[in-house]
Amino acid sequence: MADIDVQARLAALREQYGLRLSNDLQTLMSQSREVSTRQSAVDFESLDVLRQGLHRIAGSAGSFGYAALSRDARELEIGLQAAIEGANPPTPSMLTALHDRLQACYRALESPKLSEVGEPQGSYHLASGDRAIRVAVLADGDTETLIQSLSGFGYECRQLTDILGPHRGGTTWHPDIAIVDTAKVADEVWKPAVEEVPQAALIMLSAESGFEPRLKAVRHGAMGFFVHPVDVPSLEHRLRHLVNLPQQDPYRVLIVDDDVELAEHFRLTLKMSGIESRVINDPHDVLQGLREFIPDLVLIDINMPGCSGPELARIIRFDDDWLKIPLIYLSAESDAHLQAQALAQAGDDFLVKPISDVGLVAAVTARAQRSRQLSLALARDGLTGLIKHPAIKELIELEMARGQRTDTAACVVMIDIDRFKSINDTYGHGTGDYVIRLLANLLRQRLRRVDHVGRYGGEEFVAVLPSCSLENAREAIERIRVSFSELECVAATETFHATFSAGVSSTHQWPNAETLLEAADRAMYEAKQGGRDQTRIAVPPS
Amino acid sequence: MKPLQRILHVEDDISIQEVAKVALEIVGGFEVTSCDDGQSAISRAAEWQPDLILLDVMMPGIDGPTTLVRLREQASTQGIPVIFMTAKVQPSELEHYRALGALDVVVKPFDPMTLAEQLRTIWERSNG
Repeated sequence: MADIDVQARLAALREQYGLRLSNDLQTLMSQSREVSTRQSAVDFESLDVLRQGLHRIAGSAGSFGYAALSRDARELEIGLQAAIEGANPPTPSMLTALHDRLQACYRALESPKLSEVGEPQGSYHLASGDRAIRVAVLADGDTETLIQSLSGFGYECRQLTDILGPHRGGTTWHPDIAIVDTAKVADEVWKPAVEEVPQAALIMLSAESGFEPRLKAVRHGAMGFFVHPVDVPSLEHRLRHLVNLPQQDPYRVLIVDDDVELAEHFRLTLKMSGIESRVINDPHDVLQGLREFIPDLVLIDINMPGCSGPELARIIRFDDDWLKIPLIYLSAESDAHLQAQALAQAGDDFLVKPISDVGLVAAVTARAQRSRQLSLALARDGLTGLIKHPAIKELIELEMARGQRTDTAACVVMIDIDRFKSINDTYGHGTGDYVIRLLANLLRQRLRRVDHVGRYGGEEFVAVLPSCSLENAREAIERIRVSFSELECVAATETFHATFSAGVSSTHQWPNAETLLEAADRAMYEAKQGGRDQTRIAVPPS
Repeated sequence: MKPLQRILHVEDDISIQEVAKVALEIVGGFEVTSCDDGQSAISRAAEWQPDLILLDVMMPGIDGPTTLVRLREQASTQGIPVIFMTAKVQPSELEHYRALGALDVVVKPFDPMTLAEQLRTIWERSNG
C-alpha cells in the first residue's frame, strides 16, 4: 500500500533527521554560548554563522514533523537578523536568552514525550526544563494583586504591554500563558496584543458569566475562562494544567488486528503523533501484551480468525486489572445492529474502517485522554487534586525502598494549617476550602517534580521528598511557609493571611513508613506548641 | 495543457532532498532528479529537459536567483519554468523573485504530504 510506504519512509527520514537536528542544536548552543560569553566587541561574523544555522533548521525541521522547532528557529532567526542588521548590536542578555531558547529546543527534541506532528489546534509553546512558567497579564490598572498572587506561586509574571513595549516583535521574553481581562480591556486592544505572543495559551477573564461570553472565548482560542471575581486557586490550577498536560507520558495504545499491514500502518500513524503503540496480530497474545505494555487504550479488530473482537473483549474484561481500560472496536462493519450487539457484550466504542489517519489519531487521543483523566481522578482528592491518604502511604513505602537501593535519604513533611477551625468559623467553610486549595496549589507548584504531595486529612498535608537531606527539606518548606503567610486570602468582605506549621522527618532516622509519619507528626505538633507558623525537624530519641 | 511529469529539484541539503523525493515521487507520482548546487543544475537541466525546476534560494556557490538568471541565458533551458523554495518570504522578496521570472515561491518548511499538490496547482494555474 502506497500510503503505508509513505508513512514508513517519512518516519524513517524523521528519525534520521532527528539525529542530525540534535547535533545541529548542540553546535548552535556552543556557538551561542561562545558569542555570549565573549568579552570583546560583538563578532558579527559568528552571529551570521549562527543565523545561517537557525535558518537551515527553520526551513527544514517542519518537513520532518518538527513543526514547533521550525517556528522557534524562525523566530530566533528573525530576532538575530534584526540585531545584525540594526544599528545596535545584540546585548549580552539577548544572547544569553538566545542560548536559553536553543537549550529549551534541544531539551524538547531530546524528550521523547513531546509530539510535534498533529498538534492539536491552539498548541502552545511549552515551558520545558527548569525555567519558571511565564505568564503575561493584560488588564487595566489593578493587575498588581493578580500578578502578586501568581508570583507567590512561583510563576514569572509581567504585564503584556511591558513585554511588547516599543520593540514590538523583538521580545525575547516569551510568555507560556497570556491572561486577558476582557472586562477591562477593549477587543481592539487585546486582540492585536495577543497576536504578538502566538505561542502563549490564552486565558480570558470576563465580567459576565453565561454561555455567550464562553462561546466568544472559545472562538478566540482561549484555553481557560474565568468570571470576576477571579478564584485564584482555580486559575492557578488551570495554569498548571495547561503547561503540564502536554508534558505527560505519551499515550499507549495496544492494537489487536490480524491484518499485519494495516496494524503496522496504524502503529506508524499513531507514532507520528507521539502516541506509543504495540501491535498484536494473534489474539492469543493479548493478555501478555496487556501485562507487558500497560496501555491506556486497546484497539481491537472486530473480525479476527479464531477469536472475534467481542469475544476477546470479554476475555480482557474477566480480569479486574483491565476493567477501566477503554476497548475500542475497529470494524469495516457499518451495520448498526451488529455494532450494538458487540457493545452489549463488552467494549466501549467503535471506529469504522477505513478511517483517515487524522481521524484515527483524533479518536484515539480523545479516548486515551479521557481514560487517563478518569484514573487520575480516582486516586486524587476532589478538592485539591492531591494524592489521597492511602495512596500517599504507599508512595512513602516506595520511596523508602528506592532510598535503600540508591542509598539516599527521603524526607517526609507533615503540614497543618494554623487555626483552621477559626478560619472556618469566621469566614465560612467556602473560604476554608479556598485556603486548603491555595496551600495545595502552592505546595504542588513549589516542590520539585519528583516530590509527592498528598492531602492527609481535613487541613493536613503530607509531602514526600526523595533524595533530600533533612536540612534541604527544612529550607524548602520554610520558603514555602513564608510565601504562604504572605499570600492574600480573599473572603467575601475582607482579606486575611493564613499560616501553617510543619514537621520534617528523614528515612535515615526512622526505618519504616509508620514511624516516619509519626515522627513528622510529632515534630509538627512541636511547631504548633512553639507558637505555630514554623517548621521543626524530628529529633530521634538519643 | 502539458501534464507535469519531470521535476528537477535543486537543493544543497541532502535531508531535504530525500524528503522531497518521497513527497514528489511517492506521494505525487512525479519523476524526480536531484542536484546539490546551481552549477550542476544548469547542466543537468540542459540534458534532462525537465518540465519544471524546483530551486532552493540559499545555496553555497551560485545561489538560486543567480542560477535562474543563467538558466534564462542559455537557449536549451530558457523556457523551463522555475519555482523557488525558500524559508524567507517577505512580500518584497516575492516580487523580486517573480520579476526574475519565477512562476511562484514555495515556502519552507514544506509539508511532504501536500507539496506535490501545491506544485500541481501552481502548474495548472500558470498553464491555464
